[in-house]
Amino acid sequence: MLTRRTFIKSALASNVALLATPSHALQLALDNNQDKPLLVFADERALNAKEFIAQVNDQKENLDLDIGQHFDVLTKFCKESPHGHIAGLTRDSDFFVLEQLAKDHGFYVNYSATHSYDGQTLTHEITAPKEPANLIATALKNAADQWPNWLAKNMHSLPQSHQAMITTKRQLTVPNTQQHNFLVSWSLSASKNS
Amino acid sequence: MTKPLPQGITLGQLNAAIAEIEKVVGKDYVYLDDVKELRSYRDPYNTTNDADFAPSAAVAPQNVEQIQKILAIVNTYKIPIWTISTGKNFAYGGPAPRKPGYVVLDLKLMNRILEVNEKHGYAIVEPGVSYYDLYNYIQEKGLKLWIDCAAPAWGGIVGNTSEHGAGYTPYGDHLLMQCGMQVVLADGTVVETGMDTTPNSKTGGLYKYGQGAAIDGLFTQSNFGVITRMGIWLMPEPPGYTPFMITLENEQDLETVTDLTLPLRINQVIHNAPMTVDLLWESAMSVSRNQYYTGKGPMPDSHRKKMAKDLDLGIWNYYGAVYGPGPMMKNNMDVIRDTFGSIPGAKFHYDDTRKGDPGWDYRVKLMKGTPNMTEFSLLNWIGGGGHINFSPISAADGKSAMRQYEMIRKRSHEFGFDYIGEFLIGWRDQHHIFMLMFNRMSAEEKKRAHDLFAILVDDAAALGYGEYRTHLSFMDQIAGTFSWNDNSLWDAHHAIKDELDPNGILSPGKQGIWPKNLRGNS
Repeated sequence: MLTRRTFIKSALASNVALLATPSHALQLALDNNQDKPLLVFADERALNAKEFIAQVNDQKENLDLDIGQHFDVLTKFCKESPHGHIAGLTRDSDFFVLEQLAKDHGFYVNYSATHSYDGQTLTHEITAPKEPANLIATALKNAADQWPNWLAKNMHSLPQSHQAMITTKRQLTVPNTQQHNFLVSWSLSASKNS
Repeated sequence: MTKPLPQGITLGQLNAAIAEIEKVVGKDYVYLDDVKELRSYRDPYNTTNDADFAPSAAVAPQNVEQIQKILAIVNTYKIPIWTISTGKNFAYGGPAPRKPGYVVLDLKLMNRILEVNEKHGYAIVEPGVSYYDLYNYIQEKGLKLWIDCAAPAWGGIVGNTSEHGAGYTPYGDHLLMQCGMQVVLADGTVVETGMDTTPNSKTGGLYKYGQGAAIDGLFTQSNFGVITRMGIWLMPEPPGYTPFMITLENEQDLETVTDLTLPLRINQVIHNAPMTVDLLWESAMSVSRNQYYTGKGPMPDSHRKKMAKDLDLGIWNYYGAVYGPGPMMKNNMDVIRDTFGSIPGAKFHYDDTRKGDPGWDYRVKLMKGTPNMTEFSLLNWIGGGGHINFSPISAADGKSAMRQYEMIRKRSHEFGFDYIGEFLIGWRDQHHIFMLMFNRMSAEEKKRAHDLFAILVDDAAALGYGEYRTHLSFMDQIAGTFSWNDNSLWDAHHAIKDELDPNGILSPGKQGIWPKNLRGNS
């Protein structure tokens, strides 16, 4: 008998299901966080991040070169939304800084993924609890060059439980890699949520 | 995950000590979870393994009394602690301890600004106060004072000063501007230095030395005590500020510009520590390497030159500033223009033409003590960029600068890395910062960076250069290069260590200073 979880896993692994109801599928498989406040950061100078942030309807911050200019926003959100979560598609350095800042407010990493281009190859390297890591890796690969859109639609469903994490990698061939920068997607939430 | 333990300590002993510490500070301020909480007490830019610097726990006291009680507990169990203020000195190890299993003593909650004196220009702060905190406080109060911040500025004043950090205004030598401190010794004794040793003192932030030996320096880059309060001088807001930049076309111009700088710096024509910044450092603010070169190994000169032309940058880019009343600044700028205008191809840049350029904007902020985090942008030069800084000191003269530059560039290219560096001229010395940037997700590249760094330490020592600060991994090696008279300096350090901290609980191995029970193993 096909259980709901098995069905969702199968569905996520196929392009058809992914394009049909990606948010719904992953939301069922992972956490239901639609009601939690979400703060999203994106690097306004990176093409993929621009596409991503354009589809986010939650509170969002466009980042420029000085991540320090956004400290107040993050601090205010952590204080006002202690059960919320924070996510982003940013430069590696911005993720690093925001992670360090957020931990002083009790927010920790539940998910991160690097998205790197080399020649015609796009590599997603996902670090998250085991089950969601594999689901997300497959979904990102299936989304091909639309992966920023997929992320934007599934920000609320990214892992928020604090469990032991694994790292898994998926590669695919894509055209026009020269215009894209190395980016990191990530999610932080308060440890008291888990 | 197996809990990392300090050498010679069992899990039972650690747990017993932690249980007692929890009673002192409360469970909310003891961090034990290796997956979430302790992740941020590691050094993501290490060149070996996370496990080499993984703490067993972290604890955040809120006052001196709690520190005293924690010290009593760890003395009983002989458990080493590693003190940090804000723990943001990434490139040198960040919050991570020297060895696995140490308990991090995180002073982030001791973040009170105790006094800011506008008339006399000083502040007294606790270790958890960041440059942002002090800057925001001064802005909110409308005080006519500037701070001198590190780049990036999220670090703490006490931590940066005690690590001999430097800034970019005329008050850039932070330890020189430090005035008075409070320290808790390993046995819990609280010591004030300088004038605050007198009862009812009113001059602790004004005069550095007091009576007897000036011992403040003993507690910097060391493990002889826990600094819990510090005075720092602040610069009065000047009536004017003129930042400038000079782009230079040739590598050899480093020698000329350095020699021309010293007399201007030493005679205070240029008021701050001028910086000579290489092309890649400057470019990495706004572009990434793969926009200009996707090959392996260091970027070829032809690509560098194209990038310089596109971004209107020099092979070297010299930044400085003058401060004060208009006529004084005009006089100094005339001398500066005459002096550096003699270098063929030298081009001056000012705010009216350069504003909006990422490199310029960031330096303009730094040279007036406006906190920012822009320097972290450099790490995106390569994807997943990690870095450690190799930081040798030399005389402020052209030949020394060229010798260091050529030596480090040659070695970094041999190992397949770009040279990314800058020179800062202090009062008489020159700090050379080589940012060794590597892909922190590549074990092979980390290993290569580690090997390069170790060779650079030896190469520099052979030429008579020592480093002013270093990453956890290289503290012992660099300590070994300060070896004159059969390591007599280290004998002195160790004699003090053994006397003040007989159980060896305070930051063992910090800068190469080990307690006697661990000395043979270092």
